[in-house]
Amino acid sequence: MSGAGSTHAAERRLSQLVTVLAFALPVIFVLVPLAIFLVYSFFGVDQGTIVYAPTLGNYVRFFTDPIFLPVFWNTIVLCVSVAVICILLAYPAAYFLTTLKGRWRYALLMLLLVPLLMSYVIKIYAIRSILGLNGFLNKALVALGVLDQPSTLFVFNMNAILLTLSLLLIPFAILPIFLSLERIPQTLLRASDDLGASGLQTFLRITLPLSLPGVASAASFVFVLAIGDFLTPQMVGGISGFTFGRILYSQFGTAYNWPFGAALSVALAIVVIAAILMGERFGRSRGTSV
Amino acid sequence: MSQNTDLLTLRSVSKSYGTVPVLHDIDLSIRDGEFLTVLGPSGSGKTTVLRLIGGLEPLSSGEIQLDGQDISRMPINRRPFNTVFQDYALFPHMTVSGNVGYGLSVRHLKRKEIARRVGEALELVQLGRFAERFPAQLSGGQRQRVALARALICQPRLILLDEPLAALDLELRRQMQEFLKSIQREIKTTFLFVTHDQEEAIGMADRICVMQAGHIRQLGTPHELYYKPNCEFVARFFGENNLVAGRLGPVQDGQRPIETALGRLVCSISDQPHLKAAPDGANAFAAFRPEALRLADANDGDNRFSGSIAELAFAGSSTVATIMAGADDAAQRLRLRMPSRIDGSALKSGETVSLCFAPHEGHLVLA
Repeated sequence: MSGAGSTHAAERRLSQLVTVLAFALPVIFVLVPLAIFLVYSFFGVDQGTIVYAPTLGNYVRFFTDPIFLPVFWNTIVLCVSVAVICILLAYPAAYFLTTLKGRWRYALLMLLLVPLLMSYVIKIYAIRSILGLNGFLNKALVALGVLDQPSTLFVFNMNAILLTLSLLLIPFAILPIFLSLERIPQTLLRASDDLGASGLQTFLRITLPLSLPGVASAASFVFVLAIGDFLTPQMVGGISGFTFGRILYSQFGTAYNWPFGAALSVALAIVVIAAILMGERFGRSRGTSV
Repeated sequence: MSQNTDLLTLRSVSKSYGTVPVLHDIDLSIRDGEFLTVLGPSGSGKTTVLRLIGGLEPLSSGEIQLDGQDISRMPINRRPFNTVFQDYALFPHMTVSGNVGYGLSVRHLKRKEIARRVGEALELVQLGRFAERFPAQLSGGQRQRVALARALICQPRLILLDEPLAALDLELRRQMQEFLKSIQREIKTTFLFVTHDQEEAIGMADRICVMQAGHIRQLGTPHELYYKPNCEFVARFFGENNLVAGRLGPVQDGQRPIETALGRLVCSISDQPHLKAAPDGANAFAAFRPEALRLADANDGDNRFSGSIAELAFAGSSTVATIMAGADDAAQRLRLRMPSRIDGSALKSGETVSLCFAPHEGHLVLA
């Protein structure tokens, strides 16, 4: 009797420990660092050393200095564009995958996801050489007669960042869209046919709306990854391709102004959280699931 | 809408998946306005018949005719048939009225017209109050009725129902059976109903088509199938039955004896020329329903044999006795059903009794 009781007590202690761990891990590794960032954003810097006195100076600087807000806004526009391009390219790809049968479907899906396994830096170098003055894109356009001579339009500017980020992030858009398309029960499509709808009507009225949650999560995924990226703009953006990520990087790296960098991070985090919430909300708005 | 003209005819329709044949040379005529049930165990090909008619799958060979015109190659969205799917297949992102009006809106009818007909269809299935709900907010029976309203709003020539009641509980299933039947009477549309449940089939159908292993075994009214099954499969599958194997004797005015382990049993063969034509000595079964079997009294001469009662089961209005009849080495397990009585059964377990059935309640099927 008492033996059974102590086993029970031990089990209860163990399950309490597991519960504590389940809460502790995300708190320690995610929430606490974020909170530290938030706290740092209210400190100041004096000649390279952090002054631990609360101030709103960093935020005032962010909103009043003519440099930061335009870059912030342009970066958001850039990343929204990246998300739109990724969706437009990924949706047809994912759709055609779902029309394939059995083994081919997953084999080709894996093939589309293989670039994720390669080094990020190598991929950026590769894309840069494609976009460059003597790159494949220019050669192809000249050969096709679209351009008279190689153009510098595609490298070391905003266009280059846009194209590179889109190419890099497409796999992240394909996967959620593919999964949402695959989850649509085939009988719904047959029911639509049965009720007299044409193939296009079935796509527009059944397939497309039912795959929108996947599109929403793909868009927020790509947007969040794009806006947090500083390496790609650094490598292909040149001088004119200045993004918020690069400013952030410079505050921590070269300017050594951690509190201001932290304030900029907070601004970025707010946009990221908003994007995730919007993606989730939009994904659920028709959320009367089956 | 006379029931005597054929609406749809299947002519030697076959279907194979790869090299696996699932339907062998099916011939079937569906009459205009009837409630036809296709009944069979799983794997009998009954759902395939429905899918071929609906255009969900192509035929391997043969022809499907609508009003005498071949429609085998007509695409699914052009066929004047609508299907009620087994899992309802309601569109989760549309309201009830969106679902019901779908067939009209893809045909670009005017908004007003669609709203009016959706209202009527929802009234018919008694779901007027639920027009703005989403499918996820409905119960199983309500979803079922939405699916039915969605199928009948396009005024199809034929409504195909693929085991639509399988997911409902018993009480709801009974209600839906009556409901379906009354709707079918009201709109006078032809219904083709697929099920594996023979009680469901008896309850609703004008005619039943029994299928097994890709063949049609028998097509007839529930009464015909029950009392005049034409083969062992139908006799065993359709309702409870007693089958005793034996060899046929010579025909005697409308009856024919069969020599069995229980002795000579005489059964009616009226209106069944194939039984009359069968040679003497052919293998066959004497078939008689549990309710036809009764305790013999002194006046009963025909089809008399003795048996011991192995088990008595009270089933409410009736009591079913399991009886081992005949010699011990060739005992036949038979069932006897009789009305229950408040003062207990006339039978006792373990008792040996004398049993009989009337020749006109007995029936022969060829083995």
